[in-house]
Amino acid sequence: MADLQERKIKDAQMRATINQKLVETGERERLKELLRTRLVECGWRDQLKAHCKDIVQQKGLEHVTVDDLVAEITPKGRALVPDNVKKELLQRIRTFLSQQSNI
Amino acid sequence: MIESDLLFMEEDVELELAMDEIMNELIDEVSLGLCFEIHRASKIGTLFISDTDPKSSKELEVVEKPGLDVFGQAPTKKQFECICPNCHRHLAASRFAPHLEKCMGMGRNSSRIASRRIATNSTLKRDSDDSGPDHDDNDNDWTYQTDSKRIKKLKKERSTNSPRRNKFGKFSKNGGDIYNDRDTGTPEPRFDYDDMTLEERKSLLLNTCGVISEHTKKMCTRSMRCPQHNDEQRLLVRKTLLRSLNSLDEDIHVDIDSFDDGENQALRETLQWEASSNSSPADSTSTNNSTSSRKRSSKNNSRSNGAGNNNGSNRKKKKTNNSSSNLYEFS
Repeated sequence: MADLQERKIKDAQMRATINQKLVETGERERLKELLRTRLVECGWRDQLKAHCKDIVQQKGLEHVTVDDLVAEITPKGRALVPDNVKKELLQRIRTFLSQQSNI
Repeated sequence: MIESDLLFMEEDVELELAMDEIMNELIDEVSLGLCFEIHRASKIGTLFISDTDPKSSKELEVVEKPGLDVFGQAPTKKQFECICPNCHRHLAASRFAPHLEKCMGMGRNSSRIASRRIATNSTLKRDSDDSGPDHDDNDNDWTYQTDSKRIKKLKKERSTNSPRRNKFGKFSKNGGDIYNDRDTGTPEPRFDYDDMTLEERKSLLLNTCGVISEHTKKMCTRSMRCPQHNDEQRLLVRKTLLRSLNSLDEDIHVDIDSFDDGENQALRETLQWEASSNSSPADSTSTNNSTSSRKRSSKNNSRSNGAGNNNGSNRKKKKTNNSSSNLYEFS
């Protein structure tokens, strides 16, 4: 039990350090930009937009909130990202990390 | 060793998980951005702005069937039809231009054919259509000879509005219906400048080259320095044009009353035929041909001129103009 908690803390620490490195070098922004263009290219954005429109029409134009949209869109967004885009992104992160450890 | 390996593997898995997490964060951020965008668009009312209503989108749906176009129509060849303004026949659009060439006589060969046809037509019509001399000046819209010279001349004639012009319309032209108006172009091309007063001729000759083409019987409308004709030709034309007007007066004084109208018309017809036969393709291939044929044509010119205008008042008017002609002698 304590082991598990320790691991979680360790995990969080590792993520924090990686994130910090990504932000510091500006790689995070670059990755996000790359992801955005890739998602536009593969039609992910249009799919999600159509889904958003459905939600807005369902709930009514006046009553829709950002939270509603986020709650509906985020899981769907994650699921709809194509595998090759995910792979490319992971590869980019991995190469970045290896470069960092080398230095 | 195995333990350390396992530890390393474990670390690797942890790293993979962390990377996955980071990637999901990135994806969430992008979708959050989209959410903000959509929310804003829905609030300011631009979200559905590019949408069409379902009814019209159904109507305008692209049809994808073999043999049909995108609108779902079978491709049919539609024949566009034109109505000939001359003979009022219906024609396929593809045949319209060749027909018009023949019907109105605009081509090289067809102009001769058509001029003959129109000439015979007009002799038949002449007796019956004496009713509308008032239309004479106004129905030039459909005549084919729309070169700038003619338009200019028409404008001049309208602006001067001389009584000579009106009388000419009544008597010399024998009823200004469409047929007659049209045939001023080719069968009686000389009338264009024969009927001008000396003043008009001079003003025309001062501004333009004015050499009369053997082939088309039209004046050259370019400037005095037109490269197609030389000074000799220009001088000749000026001489003949101005002299013919002088000789006109002398000639006609003699036989003014001895001619009656019918006889004169017959004579004029024959002269026209002579004139058109002069311009056979054999001797009119080049515009600056021998001077002998030019002289002959100019002789014809003065003769037909004398015969063509046997109207008393018409001549008197010309005579008054002629009195000042010596001042403007071109030679």
